[in-house]
Amino acid sequence: MVAPAVLLYAVFVIYPLFRGAFVSLYQWDGLSPTMTWFGLRNYKYALEDPVFRLSLRNTFQYAIGVTIIKNLLGLGLAVLLNRKLRGRAFFRTAGFLPVIFSFVVVGVLWSWIFNPTFGLADKVLQSVGLGSLQPGWLSDPHLALWSVMWVDVWKWTGFHMVLYLAALQSVPRELYEAAAIDGAGRWQTFRRITIPSIRPVIAFSTLLALTGAFVANYDVVYVMTGGGPLNSTQVALTYIVSKAFNSQQVGLANAMSIILFIGVAIIGAVQLAVMTRGREQPR
Amino acid sequence: MSAGASAPPRDLTPAQPGRRGIRRRLAAFPAGTYVTMGILVLLTIYPMVWMILGSFKSLGEFYTNIWGLPHGWHWSNFTQAWDQVQLGQKFVNSIIATLGTLILTLPLCSMAGYAFAKVEFPLRRYIYYFVLAGIMIPFGVTAIPVLTTEISLGLFDSRLGLILVYAAQNLPFGIFLMYSFFQSIPNELEEAGLIDGCSRFKAFVRIVLPLAKPGLATLLIFTGTSVWNEYLMASVLIHQPNLETLPLGLVNFTTAHSTNYPELFAALSIVTTPVVLVYLVAQRQFISGLTAGALKG
Repeated sequence: MVAPAVLLYAVFVIYPLFRGAFVSLYQWDGLSPTMTWFGLRNYKYALEDPVFRLSLRNTFQYAIGVTIIKNLLGLGLAVLLNRKLRGRAFFRTAGFLPVIFSFVVVGVLWSWIFNPTFGLADKVLQSVGLGSLQPGWLSDPHLALWSVMWVDVWKWTGFHMVLYLAALQSVPRELYEAAAIDGAGRWQTFRRITIPSIRPVIAFSTLLALTGAFVANYDVVYVMTGGGPLNSTQVALTYIVSKAFNSQQVGLANAMSIILFIGVAIIGAVQLAVMTRGREQPR
Repeated sequence: MSAGASAPPRDLTPAQPGRRGIRRRLAAFPAGTYVTMGILVLLTIYPMVWMILGSFKSLGEFYTNIWGLPHGWHWSNFTQAWDQVQLGQKFVNSIIATLGTLILTLPLCSMAGYAFAKVEFPLRRYIYYFVLAGIMIPFGVTAIPVLTTEISLGLFDSRLGLILVYAAQNLPFGIFLMYSFFQSIPNELEEAGLIDGCSRFKAFVRIVLPLAKPGLATLLIFTGTSVWNEYLMASVLIHQPNLETLPLGLVNFTTAHSTNYPELFAALSIVTTPVVLVYLVAQRQFISGLTAGALKG
């Protein structure tokens, strides 16, 4: 009963990883029948490539930045919604709406909002008297990556809000009552009761956001900026795909994929270890 | 005013009726929360409204009237967008990819999840962990290796190749989900069926599967949404224009061909509207379906 599933999974998920590791040792354009043995030179070239290094740095900034912002905003909004509130269901529905869209749709829409001639973003600035700023949302190399990160935050905050809201609602009421009797203030209650109670969800939500942001950023970056201007929004995956398709360096692209995979695996493992250790020893 | 009965008498004097009640209600009204939530709602919904209004505007009006309602409602933008992007064909391709993936994953995940939960076979635990490891693999990283594999299998640039990859990538989470559902179903129910003369397979289909319906619903929404929205794999594996899924067609159209923005806005509105409608009808299932992985993990 498990054979068909395991076979499909092995062929299209596990085997490609090994195949990728194998191809990464060759110089290959992806089409020709001959592959030239290259040893570890693809890895050397990848790590020496300044654009690949920049793309790794951008990937880190993107992933860590959006993970922190999404989780803080999501938790904050969940705390606000975690009480008797008229229209709570509506706020939840509206907040979750962007989650259901593809990054393609969201990216296209926001690249129009950031458009300098007909975009909404500049119009909003004008209406509050900041029209002279005219920030190059997607054309200023110092700003473009932040603009793309904002779109990621816009799409996913509602998801984390719903996660945290569910977690907050599962905290036993008695704990709060006990804290109130002990005369704990709001902040103290939040720190000493709420945070420890929802710690597993915080760990999961952060891990999900982090590993997701490392590799799920391809669509939004490709659609909004294509990695430009001046590679300022180039993330690892956009660069890898462009190496494979635009310069036909499939061996090199596979080597870069393996490097990224190892990086994500290490970060995921470290984070999981840190957060579960925190759970075993309270405070 | 029933609360006033126990209040001191001076609160009941006609000069200030219910004033304390209003003040108390005002204090209970969390203004800051409502302002924050208002901003949240504005930020999530207004871009959509802006997009829909933009798709009705004429080309000239589009650049001058950025905020406002369109002066005339240009429905022709929609018909032109539909033809230009060949949206009909892309919808069909996306539906085929999504249904094809679901037809594979729902039975495969149910069967495998059931077997891992209820059937004893050699190396069961290790095979389960092997499959589960797939949840931790970020699929974007495997895009180029998967492309390399598909070329060598002769599946590159085909519907089947895309569906097989989507199905395979959605298996680990699906199996994990179904496994946890089947585990929560007591063995006694099944045993009762077996005593009554059911075969093992019949017991699975008639007794166990119906009980796992919520799990299947979650799996359907989770897998369906992720396949419907998928772009990277499709862009790497599909190159013929007539096989493009919706996200692929949309990107190729908006980045390459046209600067007729009202038409592009109309195309985007056409693509998003069905998704929004499905969400509004089944929002409860959507929210729980898309967050289920998180709460179970």
